[in-house]
Amino acid sequence: MRSTLVSYVLFAAMLIALAAVFLWVPTEKEMGIIQRIFYFHVPSAMSAFLAFFLVFIGSIQYLRTREEKWDRLALSAAELGVMFGLIVLITGPLWAKPVWGVYWRWEPRLTSMLITFTIYVAYLMVRDYGAQASQAPRLGAVMGILAFANVPLVYYAVDLWSADQQLHPPRNVGLEPTMEYAKWICYATFFLLLFHLVAQRMELARIESAVVRLRQKLDDA
Amino acid sequence: MDKDGEIVLTDAAKRFGAYTALHPTNLVISRGQSVLLVGANGAGKSTLLRLVAGLSRPSDGEVQINGHDLQDAPEARSAIGLLSHQTLLYDELTARENLRFFAQLYGLHNVQERLDEALAEARLDDRQHHRVSSFSRGMKQRLALARATLHRPSILLLDEPFTGLDTGSATALRQFLHLFRGNGGTCILVTHRLDEADGLVDRLLVLERGHLRLDQALSSDLDQLYAHCAPYLDSAL
Amino acid sequence: MSFIGRALAILRKDLQAEWRTKERLSPMVFFTLLVLLVFNFSFELGGAALREIGPGVLWSSYVFASLLGLGRSFADEHENDALDALLLAPGDHGAIYLGKMVGNLVFLLAIELLSLHFFALFFNLSLGFFLVPLLAVFVLGSACLASVGTLFAAMSNNMRLRELLLPLLLLPMIMPALISCVAATKIVLANGHFTELLPHMQMLGVYAVVFTVLSLMLFEYAIEE
Repeated sequence: MRSTLVSYVLFAAMLIALAAVFLWVPTEKEMGIIQRIFYFHVPSAMSAFLAFFLVFIGSIQYLRTREEKWDRLALSAAELGVMFGLIVLITGPLWAKPVWGVYWRWEPRLTSMLITFTIYVAYLMVRDYGAQASQAPRLGAVMGILAFANVPLVYYAVDLWSADQQLHPPRNVGLEPTMEYAKWICYATFFLLLFHLVAQRMELARIESAVVRLRQKLDDA
Repeated sequence: MDKDGEIVLTDAAKRFGAYTALHPTNLVISRGQSVLLVGANGAGKSTLLRLVAGLSRPSDGEVQINGHDLQDAPEARSAIGLLSHQTLLYDELTARENLRFFAQLYGLHNVQERLDEALAEARLDDRQHHRVSSFSRGMKQRLALARATLHRPSILLLDEPFTGLDTGSATALRQFLHLFRGNGGTCILVTHRLDEADGLVDRLLVLERGHLRLDQALSSDLDQLYAHCAPYLDSAL
Repeated sequence: MSFIGRALAILRKDLQAEWRTKERLSPMVFFTLLVLLVFNFSFELGGAALREIGPGVLWSSYVFASLLGLGRSFADEHENDALDALLLAPGDHGAIYLGKMVGNLVFLLAIELLSLHFFALFFNLSLGFFLVPLLAVFVLGSACLASVGTLFAAMSNNMRLRELLLPLLLLPMIMPALISCVAATKIVLANGHFTELLPHMQMLGVYAVVFTVLSLMLFEYAIEE
């Protein structure tokens, strides 16, 4: 019931965001129409980091309380963080081709995102292929904490490595007011999407484990 | 000191994912008791033993050794000795080096004298500077026993300790267990060969599919043992 | 016995066993040599290219060798279930991590210093005092590798597909340290100034400290049953 309501709100928010991006904001002078990908690229990156932060919180809480819901949060957020990371890694090169002339440059922000992305893909793979079902939550929690601690180090190291290749604008670049509003609308929409999908994925994981438990009970009987 | 050698399980359970290895179990083993733990394969014997040793963390409930919860009081582990069918030794170190290493881990005093004594008891003093990899199964198990009891634990946990032993070594182990019992030590013995437990135990616990099915005092009589255990062991034997 | 005392006992035991068998050191050094050969034929390393890609080649071979060595670091403990005996000993299990971590650090440093000679020989690099800062890079870089590496080795020992999973776990995590190791080595080989070197060394130091402390805290959870 609640999730249906959220779906409607999300649908409306997406329509508003699309209208804002494609009908309302002016076209950027230098880059032209392609700059509008900014409204998907940057909020995706923020959503990915928010998701990785949720993995971190879920991991700590799981080790403290051993309640499965925290593990479900960590796992669900990791999957969605990887998905949003992938959106960043796809929209980045799409934006880069017309502006920088090539799809990929080993530019610090993109490189850092790529490394962070691989860390969480490894997290998911190890949980899926390596750990037995009984160990996955615990080992996942250990990885989830280490992975998040690594994110700032990745950014720092990559910045040191390629300080002269920085092509992204500095963080507080002044945007035209309508662009600023549209950006915040997109942030809100993406965050709502993230929370909604995490909630859905957690519910799915809860049902999955309930099924496994029922099957085990049948086997025991 | 009245709690020395006491084991208390309060609703202790162990689950591995959806699989329950040990259902919530309440159990008090008091100082000086010798308990025989039997059950078919997968009944939860090793799980119970590892919970008591603190090697496994209970999914629910609590395991107390000498009045301490093992998860909160890592020092309480020093009351426990574990002897299993694995040696828990390093093959590339000599007998003496192995024992010295564990003496250091346990922070023992007068290490040299303690090592001399333990090696003599294990009848390995003449081979103490040989690597464990050159030892026979019986010698390894004597050294394993010396390692398990080096810190003079008040509780001894034995997981199939007779597996693969020759008659001489098995007899020596039985003699040691008699002595340990005589000195007031608490002991849990897991074995599937009941004849090995004859005369060594005074209480019988039977596990079946993670449930404690039977818990009763025994006079050390082999026939009585068989009669009690037979229904639970058919599938294993 | 104190925390440090138990860690030292474990370190001493590991070094003693390794000194006797050399079953980790010899294969790791030989493996590094083989990787250097592979790189040589892949990149034509002699001459001008050396200073450009040499540091990367060096650290790539160290990282691959360390994966082998780290993967074996808990092998002795599993052979006769000796890990159970370690876990049964009283006191904080973090001491096991610390002892193993320092042991891995020593092994990694040993292979790095031994195989540096091959590197110098094959690629016409004269070893000299200007390489002293390189030692600091090796110590910090190895500490970074050993910090997360030891924890992941303990974790992957209980997993299926462990030979495959350790690299999957370790390589992405180690990336920031690797970046700084290569950059710092490049600066040393080019006789660069200390002020250029410093930020990279700080990065390595922070990485090693952060992950050693975190691993100490998380080790108990990584090995519990």
